[in-house]
Amino acid sequence: MEKDLLTISETAELLGVSVDTLRRWDEKGQFKAFRSEGGHRYYSKEQIANYSKDLFKLAEDWVLNKTEIPTTNYCADSATFQARVAKMGSELSLVSDDKIKKNFSLIVAMAGEIGNNSFDHNLGNWRDVPGIFFGFDINKKYVVLADRGQGIFKTLKRVRPELNDDSSALIVAFTEIVSGRAPEERGNGLKFVRNIIIKNKMKLYFKTGEAELEISDESPLAIKKTITPVKGCIALIGF
Amino acid sequence: MKIELQKFGTTLLSRQTGREAYSAFLPTLNALSENEIIEVDFNGVITFSPSWGDEFLSKLLEKYGDKLVLMKSNNPSVLATIEILEQVNNMKFKIV
Repeated sequence: MEKDLLTISETAELLGVSVDTLRRWDEKGQFKAFRSEGGHRYYSKEQIANYSKDLFKLAEDWVLNKTEIPTTNYCADSATFQARVAKMGSELSLVSDDKIKKNFSLIVAMAGEIGNNSFDHNLGNWRDVPGIFFGFDINKKYVVLADRGQGIFKTLKRVRPELNDDSSALIVAFTEIVSGRAPEERGNGLKFVRNIIIKNKMKLYFKTGEAELEISDESPLAIKKTITPVKGCIALIGF
Repeated sequence: MKIELQKFGTTLLSRQTGREAYSAFLPTLNALSENEIIEVDFNGVITFSPSWGDEFLSKLLEKYGDKLVLMKSNNPSVLATIEILEQVNNMKFKIV
């Protein structure tokens, strides 16, 4: 067998999934294996690298179809997420890119706010799988976060009953400051994220329910109806 | 009294850990004398966020008002967090 090909158990270990999961992915065509003459499954290193790096696709598939995700991208609880997001900070602080070096604390704080929002607003109310997807790619300069929770509209409607759809919920979540502590502790984290994205020429894509939003310095709040609705949330920070 | 935030950690992000930090520090705060100010030192903090800050700094601001002083920091996440907390609380922090 060529050196560039790995066995199914080697691949499973690299991706942080079980051998059975890889067999299922192969059968469904989600992640196809090469077959040896004897019928054994093998995977190329390039294929493995590409699969594990397309973080947005992994996250979106998980939110849409509850596909299995690598354990390295799954944070079942807040403590796991805090540790991993801090580790991302350590890695980002070491890169040679000046813009990243200057902004890494902002990138970590934004990821922290989005991820913690998922935990704070869905605790005890997850639809099925608790916790979040969290991944980042320093070379492609992005962070991806996702949850299978209730979505912004449903959680925000608890305190803002006048909201009537996902788009209006996104506008409130990203623009309106909730002053004072009473009657609830709805955070202002997404406003914080928006300010940073605009001021530092970064990009944010955020999807919840039937609405998706893009923020950049050129487009401070572009919201439209999405063609692939998601229950829960998915976010991509481009830095 | 000086509060060195790095003693609570260098990545201060979640509401939960902010709440825990505030509760843990309350007994120390209760020992504050009448005219004593509280200085908050961000030195050593790598990442700071509004969720943590709201549970700690906003509560201090609410309780101690003018007696609360933040020591100047150049950390971008500290600066961005102070800005949003001032909007949320509709109050300015005293910064030296």
